[in-house]
Amino acid sequence: MAETHFKEEEFNNKLSTKTALRIFEQAKPHWILLIGFILCIMATAFLEAFGTYVVKLAIDEAIIPANKELLFKYLFTFGIMHFILALVVFGFIYCAGRLGEQIQYDLRKKLFSHLQNLSFSYFDKTPIGWIISRLTSDIQRVSDLVTWNLLDLVWAITNITSAMIFMFIINWKLAIIVAVAMPVLIFIALRFQKYIIGEYRKVRSINSKITGAYNENITGVKIIKALVREKKNLSLFGELTDDMYKASYKAIWLSAIFLPIVQLITAVAFGAVLWFGGFQFKLGLFTIGGIQAFISYITFMMWPVQDLARVYGEMQQAVASAERVFSLMDTKPDIQDRQDSIEVDSVKGKIEFRNVDFYYEENNPVLNNFSLTVKPGETIALVGPTGGGKSTIANLVCRFYEPKKGQILMGHRDYTGFTQQSLQSKLGVVLQTPHLFSGTIMDNIRYGRLDATDDEIIEASKMAHSHDFIKELENQYREDVGEEGTLLSVGQKQLISLARAILARPEIIIMDEATSSIDTLTEEMIQKGMETLLKGSTGFVIAHRLSTIRNADRILVIEQGVIKEMGSHRELLKEKGHYYDLYTRQFRKERQRDLHVFT
Amino acid sequence: MNTLSKIPSASGKGLWFLLKGYKIRFFSALFFQAVAVAAGTAGYFVLRFYIDDIINTGDWRFPLIYFSLFYIAFALIRGLFSFLTARGTGATAEGIARDLRNSIFDHTQKLSFSYHDKTRTGELIQKSTSDVDTLRKFYSEMVAGLSRILFMFIINLTSIFYLNTKLALFSIIAIPFIAVMSTMFFKKIHNAYESYQDQDGKVSAAVQENLTGVRVVRAFARQEFEKEKFEVENREKFVRGKRFLMNHALYWPTSHIICAAQVIFGITMGALMVIDSTLSIGDFVAYIGFLNTIIWPIQQMGRMIAQLSTSWVSYSRVASILLNDQEDLTSGNDVKELIGDVQFKNISFSYDNSAAVLKNINLSCKPGESIALLGETGSGKTSLVNLLPGFYSKDEGELIIDGIPIEGYSRHFLRSNIGIVEQEPFLFSTTIKENITYGVKRDVTDEDIFKAAKAASIHDSIKNFPEGYETMVGEKGVTLSGGQKQRIAIARTILKDPKILILDDSTSAVDAETEDQIRAALNNLMVGRTTFLIAHRIQSLIKADQILVFKEGEIIQRGKHKDLIEEPGFYKHVFELQNKIEAELEEELLHG
Repeated sequence: MAETHFKEEEFNNKLSTKTALRIFEQAKPHWILLIGFILCIMATAFLEAFGTYVVKLAIDEAIIPANKELLFKYLFTFGIMHFILALVVFGFIYCAGRLGEQIQYDLRKKLFSHLQNLSFSYFDKTPIGWIISRLTSDIQRVSDLVTWNLLDLVWAITNITSAMIFMFIINWKLAIIVAVAMPVLIFIALRFQKYIIGEYRKVRSINSKITGAYNENITGVKIIKALVREKKNLSLFGELTDDMYKASYKAIWLSAIFLPIVQLITAVAFGAVLWFGGFQFKLGLFTIGGIQAFISYITFMMWPVQDLARVYGEMQQAVASAERVFSLMDTKPDIQDRQDSIEVDSVKGKIEFRNVDFYYEENNPVLNNFSLTVKPGETIALVGPTGGGKSTIANLVCRFYEPKKGQILMGHRDYTGFTQQSLQSKLGVVLQTPHLFSGTIMDNIRYGRLDATDDEIIEASKMAHSHDFIKELENQYREDVGEEGTLLSVGQKQLISLARAILARPEIIIMDEATSSIDTLTEEMIQKGMETLLKGSTGFVIAHRLSTIRNADRILVIEQGVIKEMGSHRELLKEKGHYYDLYTRQFRKERQRDLHVFT
Repeated sequence: MNTLSKIPSASGKGLWFLLKGYKIRFFSALFFQAVAVAAGTAGYFVLRFYIDDIINTGDWRFPLIYFSLFYIAFALIRGLFSFLTARGTGATAEGIARDLRNSIFDHTQKLSFSYHDKTRTGELIQKSTSDVDTLRKFYSEMVAGLSRILFMFIINLTSIFYLNTKLALFSIIAIPFIAVMSTMFFKKIHNAYESYQDQDGKVSAAVQENLTGVRVVRAFARQEFEKEKFEVENREKFVRGKRFLMNHALYWPTSHIICAAQVIFGITMGALMVIDSTLSIGDFVAYIGFLNTIIWPIQQMGRMIAQLSTSWVSYSRVASILLNDQEDLTSGNDVKELIGDVQFKNISFSYDNSAAVLKNINLSCKPGESIALLGETGSGKTSLVNLLPGFYSKDEGELIIDGIPIEGYSRHFLRSNIGIVEQEPFLFSTTIKENITYGVKRDVTDEDIFKAAKAASIHDSIKNFPEGYETMVGEKGVTLSGGQKQRIAIARTILKDPKILILDDSTSAVDAETEDQIRAALNNLMVGRTTFLIAHRIQSLIKADQILVFKEGEIIQRGKHKDLIEEPGFYKHVFELQNKIEAELEEELLHG
């Protein structure tokens, strides 16, 4: 269910007027460009048809009667016409291109801003790749629709209409023959596009399977070799590539037959023109220039018709893209500031969970009637198995989610009455897998408080005990952390994120300790840094290390959304319950690891 | 199935080589294209006769319908041959793409570990998909597009020469200018496009970073700051987009004016010849048609050439995979069955000739024995066991299995007889059942599968999944915990029934109950097999027939648990520390 929601083809491909109107709304602020390219492309198509008419006149009135003076007049007109044509060509490329870039820019900006307000519940169920496609390829297609696709359409219509008009002017009886052929052509074009688009859709779907197979083949190469599966895997993959070949071949076949059919029908139309035209000529109703004009018109009319199928297919895709973009834009954040939300200036008071219920999925409760009171300045260690509800409690404190039932009070006030910005700017969060942004170490620490001076940053870094290792780096604080911090170890990243949190001078600390192995020295530093951070603030720590657990004022053992045990380290040990088990296991594990033997 | 071997490294040669087996089809398609173009040209000749011989002279000897039919007949020929062309080039391109895909797929799974160690997955996939696609387009669109322009040019220009030599020479004056200008401009356009694409990548990266760091952004309430950051990249893309577009907006009108000037000049000359009666009016009408078909397509030439150059790059990228040597999987004798007697004699090993990771290792184990390997990360444990299935080859010494040096066996045979259970097992995105039977060559019944799963203590968990054994693993199905994955890997190995086992008994991220289950499963698995165990727990060591302590690529201690704890050294030290931990814990629990 969830994942089908993200499939490309699930969205409606029909052109709904509502979507279409909304797409054009994007172009509205830049209406001059829109009108500009439409006028220019219409002028282009018209001038091309007009040029042919000029040549016709030149043949009939100047060349055949051998009137040189008139010939030069016509040629001059023809030259001017081409000059204007060059100008309008510039006009439509510039206007349409510029409009396209504008729309993409606007939409990206809008979507990105919108994403900044969406709630975590949205990000939990939406893959990042999906969102990125909305911001890149989908936006591109939407802008193409209002620009190049529309341009092609306008061009096709103007081209066909002006050619028809000139043909009617030249000889209406013969023009009727051509006019009759047009609907047939358009009908065939639309028929074909349906099949061709269907085949290409199949190709795309097989293609994504092939990419998946490559991926698995590379990431699982060790086990494939160990289990000697090469031959079987190749033959399975071969079935995929065979399917791909068949589907592509069919699509090619259909496209390959489509063009000749269009050409043949136009040829039949022109053949008819030659036949009747001969009789008309006998009667003096048709001219040689006319014949030349007719063949030009008919040849040129063929291109838009043949293009129509492609344009139609692209427009369909673009509408689907637009719907996805709009669906993202229309997603309402679960958590929104209310009209009467207040800017809270301090959340230093006591924190109270009052009968809180919470779930991520409707029938899968995580917290049930959960109550807890935390005194100001207290450090709470949350321990217990994965999925027990520790992170949920931390997430609720951060207001990444809000309780489904019950209340969370900070200083006796329900925290949903605060603006998110004012509440969250008073939090210090250190995540389990520390996330750094690309940029220098300095930039990353400054993220905690944007107006901090370099000295303040170094000060915070010293307090977090990250200064020592940063000093050793080649560029010190100016060292680039690389893409998502790949140049640093997990422990070092954690130290930097501690410094970042310290710099923010938070009133409430939420920490999720790293579980991955960190060398002893770094870990000691992290311990010290944490102590500095937690001093004087209320803290929630999802704790894995013994020292952290022992240092906490209160330990909560959370299992299946309820507090199984609560108290100080000593009290809990005496109970010989869950905490006792947990502690002894962790003790052995941690001490063994300290021996560097069992890694 | 067609998989390519020994491809040339030079792109030009390579693109020719890939045509092997398709040459007749491909070149006949190009020949058909020439026929189609010629048929189009012939249509104009029909028109010329129609005008000159019938209409203009008033000679009505031939019924008019003949001309119509001739014209239609040529159109039919033209249509038929364009169909054959598109079908031929398309089939060639798709066929080559299929060969390439299959070859890359097969090649990657047969490349040695030393290759995979240093190659990034994303890069490999990029080459396997988009570069193959570029090559596909090379045969289906680029070559055909370019040859079409050439055929149109040659055939129609020849026709003009046939009509009037002087006129023909007047018609091609601007051609070199257009061609040069087009090539130059498109080089610029191509560069502008690349820089636009680069920025596109940066925009995506910016979004990606924002989304993966969403928790940090929110926790510090930095939405506005993020918007400003994004604005910089977004604006830059807008700017580069405009630059790219400006190049186009300048090129097309400029080249239009040059082309139009040439067309007007040609028409003027032709018209004057008609007036001077050196050219017939029918010739003139046909000439206009020919002239248009030689001039305007040249505008596109630069684009075609720019695209062609990308194919050269794509070929070399694809070749960079295929040119690496595959592992030799099949040469060597296959004995009937392994017994599991393994001897390491003076084995030394290093990765890619860097510092030695194994130095002078001697070891002998009897069938069915269990050997526990102990030591820090990087001490050589994993490198040692990786030699057994031939994942890497030793530098020096002899590795003897059942009395035969390892070189005597094919890698396939060795791997078929060695079972591996990794610390973090890889499962494939297919059903659980297929994952369990993944490495098994013989037919297995459901009963066999259940038995293996039961022995691996995973049967009950599987039964509880929505579709039991048919449940899909991964994105399209259930997400399995580390412990479950490990037990499925154990079931897979039980079913494979190898004589030699390589185990990593890590259970770092599982709870006590799961740990017990995994341990039980591993014990079931080890019965009757020579087992190399990378130990993470003291319990595994106690039972082992031999314990090897590794340090910096050497075995510093060996023996049984009961002997080693008596002998001063690393192991005793560890064991004592272990006991000390327990004592500490006692203490801690008593006094807090």
